[in-house]
Amino acid sequence: MSEQTNIKRRDFLRTGSAAGAGLVLGAPAILRAETKNAPSDELRIGFIGCGKQHEVLFDAMKDIPGMRYVAVCDIMKTRLGGSASRIKSLFGDLPERYFDAEEMLSKEDLDAVFVATPDFWHAPHTVMALESGCHVYCEKMMSNTLEGARSMVRAMDDTGKLLQIGHQRRSNPRYLFVLDMLINGEKICGQIVNANGQWNRAVGSSQDISVKESILPDEQTLLKYGFDEGVKGKLSLEELRHRFLNWRTYKALSGGPISDLGAHQIDIFNWFLDAQPKSVMASGGRNYFKDREHFDNVMCVFDYDTPAGGARAFYQVLTTTSAGGGYYESFMGTDGTVEISERAAYTNIYRESGAERSWDELIQRGILRKVAAGEAAGGSDAVAAYESAPPDKFELPGGLSKPPHQPHIENFVASIRGDATLTCDGRHALESEAPIYWVNPAAENQEIIHFTDEHLHV
Amino acid sequence: MTDSAQEKLSSDAGSDLGPFLGFLILRLWLGIRALITGIEKFAGEKASEVAVVVDGEPNEYGLTSSDAEKVYGFGNYHGVPEALYEQLEGEPLIPGFALKLYDVALGPLLIITGLTLLLGIATRLSLFVMGVIYCSLTVGLILLSQDGGIAWLGIHVLLVAVALFYVRYNRCQLFAKKL
Repeated sequence: MSEQTNIKRRDFLRTGSAAGAGLVLGAPAILRAETKNAPSDELRIGFIGCGKQHEVLFDAMKDIPGMRYVAVCDIMKTRLGGSASRIKSLFGDLPERYFDAEEMLSKEDLDAVFVATPDFWHAPHTVMALESGCHVYCEKMMSNTLEGARSMVRAMDDTGKLLQIGHQRRSNPRYLFVLDMLINGEKICGQIVNANGQWNRAVGSSQDISVKESILPDEQTLLKYGFDEGVKGKLSLEELRHRFLNWRTYKALSGGPISDLGAHQIDIFNWFLDAQPKSVMASGGRNYFKDREHFDNVMCVFDYDTPAGGARAFYQVLTTTSAGGGYYESFMGTDGTVEISERAAYTNIYRESGAERSWDELIQRGILRKVAAGEAAGGSDAVAAYESAPPDKFELPGGLSKPPHQPHIENFVASIRGDATLTCDGRHALESEAPIYWVNPAAENQEIIHFTDEHLHV
Repeated sequence: MTDSAQEKLSSDAGSDLGPFLGFLILRLWLGIRALITGIEKFAGEKASEVAVVVDGEPNEYGLTSSDAEKVYGFGNYHGVPEALYEQLEGEPLIPGFALKLYDVALGPLLIITGLTLLLGIATRLSLFVMGVIYCSLTVGLILLSQDGGIAWLGIHVLLVAVALFYVRYNRCQLFAKKL
């Protein structure tokens, strides 16, 4: 990518901002490709960004038939070579390698592009790929700014191409089953009054990334690609490289842990509660990683008016502690609670002892499996008057036998072929992600933010 | 003891059905133990995913449950169980090449000795080799301080020794009666 490209990225953000919110409000979302490819047609795939997340995506898609991996792009030579070699070893053909995304898009005839670059490059890369005629699968968070995310939706609408955002839980059979069958169908939770979610990650997993300097891009390249974004003075090469490897910790390059980890789960709140929140209050601190620009721990509460009534959702992201159940989203109702996670091990379902309806019939129909009857809290420290009768514990009748990202990519591919509808198109993703952009400001300013259309819509 | 007394004892022993049956059952047990253990080293699991049935029909969401089927094949072979192998690799007293060789030989040796013992081929030699195998297994477990396993193998060695002591009551042999 040239210096011109860097300027383009900034211009693009300014233009997006000037265009303003609501410009395309109400425009129909494009959920499936208009032209139906013959099922035997191979899709020509390109990758922009060949880092860790690219590896996750490629592992999840390598078994999907009908894909031809023709081009890869990254500014880091070793990643580029590694990705190309992997494709060659699995499929026999060496893909074309590019340092420059624009060059790749102009030279290659691609059907779809997978964007897995740092958050601050998602919008520019997605827009240029859509405008070059490709369908795009872009990793979440859509962008590091709401304006960037809005520009992606506009480009999706303008080009008529598909844009799938990588909230892969939206295509996960376990999540679909829980929402359709258990919560909406059988209404096992009763009225959901509270939701609770978390991603607790240990200090050891939250450390800065470092690699040997000889394989890193040089200063000129890092400046070309805007890793000095948000800095007025000149950065040393060491600082630039730190920003390149640890972009998640810089405000101008990412949304921090609340968007990096929280985006997946707050998306589930909005999806399952079938509503956008009314307000958010939040608290955060730089209590352990004191030199980082973003909060290392954030807690927030969203208020909802759901179709079933008022509800609130608490979410926390910790980068200093892993104990406490890992990562999950819990939907707590008057009759039952569904605690679901991308990991089956963190998934639990509970029936309140006072629920009128017996779940025996659900077990007989194969909808649930009983794990254990509730155990009353005994011992000398239990005060009977304080105790609720314990809930019985259940589990889902099955799981997912593929990598968690695979169904989401399969949905994208099927939508390109005209055989399915996107489960997380750009517009829906933006409306679900929008509240997340306001968590950091709410915590920074210690204020409750009451959402308006300006906050939440395209 | 005179020669005639020795002959009489031998004759009594040969006609005693109890010790004969006792030895036969011991031979049978040791043979089966070795044969099946050797065969099991070729066992593995073939996992398959089946759609979860909801309301009598495969669910439409794609929920699956695992169904594992036990299968046998050369590809599944592990002479020394994987977890044990990894621990033994770290033992300085066990050279890497010897561990590899042992891993390759253990399963077939157990099968061969089990078969020869069951069929009555070179019974004494089969029992002796079997005893050596159990002793060799004990070496690894001593190094790993697995006292339970050592005691368990010790019982096997004792049974082999008892069988060797009573092998004179062995009647059902195919070949190599002196061996």
